[in-house]
Amino acid sequence: MKKISFLFIYILVTISFSCSGPTITDDLLDGEVVFDPSLYNPEQFLVSAKYPIPTPADLNKHIILAVHGYTATTFEWQEFQDWSVTPSYRISQVLLGGHGRDYNAFKNSTWEDWRSSITSEYEKLIALGYTRISLVGSSTGGTLLLELVNSGYFNNHLHPKNIFLVDPIVVPSNKLQTLVGIIGPMIVYVETDQTAAENNYWYRFRPYETINELNNVMSIVRKGLENGMTLPSGTYLKVFHSLHDPVASTTSSVLIYKGLKTSSGSKIEVQLIYSDIHVFTRLNLRTKVTLLQKNNQLDVFNQIANKLN
Amino acid sequence: MKTTLIFLVIFCTSIANAQTLEVGLRVQKTQEMYWENGVSAQFSFAKFKPEQFFLGLDYVTSRLGTAYQSNAIKQDSYLLSGSWLFNKNKPYHIVTRFNMGYFYSDLEEDMFAAIPNTSFLVSPEVGLKYNFKKMPISLNLGVGFYIITAKEGYSPGTLQPLYYHLDLYYSILKTRKK
Repeated sequence: MKKISFLFIYILVTISFSCSGPTITDDLLDGEVVFDPSLYNPEQFLVSAKYPIPTPADLNKHIILAVHGYTATTFEWQEFQDWSVTPSYRISQVLLGGHGRDYNAFKNSTWEDWRSSITSEYEKLIALGYTRISLVGSSTGGTLLLELVNSGYFNNHLHPKNIFLVDPIVVPSNKLQTLVGIIGPMIVYVETDQTAAENNYWYRFRPYETINELNNVMSIVRKGLENGMTLPSGTYLKVFHSLHDPVASTTSSVLIYKGLKTSSGSKIEVQLIYSDIHVFTRLNLRTKVTLLQKNNQLDVFNQIANKLN
Repeated sequence: MKTTLIFLVIFCTSIANAQTLEVGLRVQKTQEMYWENGVSAQFSFAKFKPEQFFLGLDYVTSRLGTAYQSNAIKQDSYLLSGSWLFNKNKPYHIVTRFNMGYFYSDLEEDMFAAIPNTSFLVSPEVGLKYNFKKMPISLNLGVGFYIITAKEGYSPGTLQPLYYHLDLYYSILKTRKK
């Protein structure tokens, strides 16, 4: 009888908490007023939209798809876009599915939805005739790119020239993230501590369902790495990771190094960055930026650009 | 190696005064992380709460779990525990346990030397133990939680808090009460 009572109380508590969502105001990306600008102005962000009928000169350019992380938007790679003045490559800033919209759109999205924006733009570029395409992913963006390698997506599509990963997440630094599968229905969502300015570009509230999705795709990639993954032929890959990343454990890059090989069986490249911020290539809206952080950012931008030129 | 030797010395000294000594195998799974298997031993003292208070030593490793023939991180946990059994006169017991120990993960390459890979371990546990009546065998099921106080980004990534384990013990020493 006691056991039934405890079960009943647990279900009651879970249901009552599940009914309570966060209080979302119009100044948040989570609301229904602020959206990622790529949704209503895609030609400013996607190469396929900006050049729907590319000339031979356009097709000769190297295209790099820049993929942001969990809860973020195209803003995460805007600094790379602003920094890149070279005419030899173009950046296509992808907005992940379910992101940059509102809380409910995010809550109802799966990691496959997030990934679909990457494959959609990649396939549009191939269909338009581009032959030199590279990819850069930060945080979950990197995880999704690894999932594409693991799933064999590139077996049937043009092989990317380069893949760059910045603070990819395969193992979380936040120790409570692995518990969300159990306590998720009770906590419903997690609120992030971010500034008012950042509220325009990152969801403030993280529905537990999406944290589960993140854990799921991380688990798939981690198992793939445990079993061994191979890059498509001709693809170069380099990982950059903050030494004390507070979100994506740096152990993630150890696992990538151990589990991912080039098509010829060689090791991939990893560079640890003396930093304790997550996605160290994004410095805009940080409360305090040091010279070291600026140099770290420029180092990575230069390395990527040199590979594309 | 040094840690292993210290544990062995503690173990050998303690069993000299043991009322009950159980040794066995442990199968452990961490939530959203690795299978880590190994050995477990525990003993109670004749002169202090026999059959109720147990001291234990455990060693679990991913080398015998997820990392066996895979690219997973090879990691080891060494634990010293104190357990308290309720319902001591019945074949099944509720067990509360407190563990302290040391965690080490082998990141293998010199270039990863600066990444945090060790941690002290502290974890409370609850579980259930069943002693088979006609055999010197017992099963212990436990769930524990590593209390990790390090700042995010400063503890080993593959050390995650919630874990479950199943121990299969064989009693190799059981002194009758005088």
